[in-house]
Amino acid sequence: MRARFSRWLRVNSERYLLESAQTEMARRYLGRSGPAGERGLVPSLWRHLFVPVYHRLPPRLRQSAIEAMPGSHRRHWQTPPPRSHTPGI
Amino acid sequence: MVGGGAAGIGAAGAARQADPEAAVTVFTEYEDVAYSPCGIPYVHGREIPSFEALFLQSKEAYVTAGIDIRYETRVSSVDVSRREVQVEGQGTVPYDRLVLATGFDYADPGVPGADLAGLYYVKNIRRAMEWDTVLDTVKRAVVVEASPLGLEMVTALAHRGITVHLVDSHPWPLAELADPDIMRPVEESWAEMGITTHFNTRVEAFLGEGSVRAVRTTEGEIECDLVAVCTHKQPNTRLAAAAGLEVGSTGALVVDERMATSAAGVFAAGDCTELPHAVNRVPIACLTGSHAYAQGKVAGTNAAGGSRAYHAVYVPWGLVAGKWMVGGTSFGETLATALGIPFVMGVADGISRARYYPGVKKVRVKLLAEPAGHRLIGAQMVGGEGIKERADFLGVAVRTGITLEDLATMENVYSPPIGALNEPISVAAQNALSSLRR
Repeated sequence: MRARFSRWLRVNSERYLLESAQTEMARRYLGRSGPAGERGLVPSLWRHLFVPVYHRLPPRLRQSAIEAMPGSHRRHWQTPPPRSHTPGI
Repeated sequence: MVGGGAAGIGAAGAARQADPEAAVTVFTEYEDVAYSPCGIPYVHGREIPSFEALFLQSKEAYVTAGIDIRYETRVSSVDVSRREVQVEGQGTVPYDRLVLATGFDYADPGVPGADLAGLYYVKNIRRAMEWDTVLDTVKRAVVVEASPLGLEMVTALAHRGITVHLVDSHPWPLAELADPDIMRPVEESWAEMGITTHFNTRVEAFLGEGSVRAVRTTEGEIECDLVAVCTHKQPNTRLAAAAGLEVGSTGALVVDERMATSAAGVFAAGDCTELPHAVNRVPIACLTGSHAYAQGKVAGTNAAGGSRAYHAVYVPWGLVAGKWMVGGTSFGETLATALGIPFVMGVADGISRARYYPGVKKVRVKLLAEPAGHRLIGAQMVGGEGIKERADFLGVAVRTGITLEDLATMENVYSPPIGALNEPISVAAQNALSSLRR
């Protein structure tokens, strides 16, 4: 159930966040309109409710929400060692 | 190993290397392993003379290496508690360790007519050989979706002398990955090559009786003899999901740095897995062939009792589209904007060689960095040459925490035939810092 919810949230959030960014970028760089997205009540809620709310969330809260989702990022992954600023020789 | 693509074969080789006594068996549904599917569009486009050139190893080489490959053999189920797989025609096969490398499927276009003949999904080399003969008779083709494969197929079919239409629902090509200013030269070169593009246009149906004769879109009908369906990749996790393995939000298998899945003794690698993006930890799936092969090596080594770790990814990428090379690493402006990641940006238009040297090409570099510490978080590029090398370099730069200040003062190779006096990466970083000072 949780996996199905996270999949549904991921698919839709990715789709509508990208659509919003693509609309902005297409207007700025190409003078074109946004993607040919679907119409209707549900797409409208994602566009006009979810996307603005997502962008108004504090970045830390947004990151916490992302990290709370199930997935590979919650398992152990090595991080690169910190950069050394000392000379090589 | 279940799957004979880059991940499965990488895993098989690594397992034998880690434990030369290990009995390694690879099950593949297809007739071949060890070829480059990524090279198929270039054979269609006649840049590569034959499909034989795409094969990396002979079947005998695997026999000699002690790897038992079962061709055209389908694994129908996995029982992780009994450590067995069911193989069609061969019954139950036990295992000590299992590596799943089941790859991807193309997303269903989700429109009527998807069962018509004449719809080409580029994947298997034997089918590609058959389709290559069909292409000799094709005059008009439609490519559906400006995905990485879609870009390569558009260019390949045009090289072949076929009239090509590209249909994509986004405002510019590769819009889920690349920025519009980066793709602009590609669009212009396609127009020069006679390719017709239909952006912000959705496919509504494939039309025809038995075989496709047209594509109906939101902007009207496009007549064609063939449709190359290049919809985005989706992880193939049917077998693993049925066995109860954990699947993440991308629809791909959850793994750790050892490429171990949620089931004991079961590893996974390649397009069927998801990995965290190293900058923001968001899991992503269906990366490149080089990612799949490297993950396969890790999974195979660990499956055979060795110890090897993979890492979160920065995803350097690049490809040829039209008359240009495009590429990048980590985030572009579009993706960073979508995710709400704050960034500062610098852009430079430079050249690939000394301005007077024959063959000099334009190179545009765009860098994105954190506003506070100016650490690089991504880059995008378009140019006539040298894009792959810059994407690889910038991938390492993001990974090691290089800043705009580092890049602005970097030393660069200057030699008229291979490098200009000013390196565009450095100039882009200088421009970013200048705009911050204003």
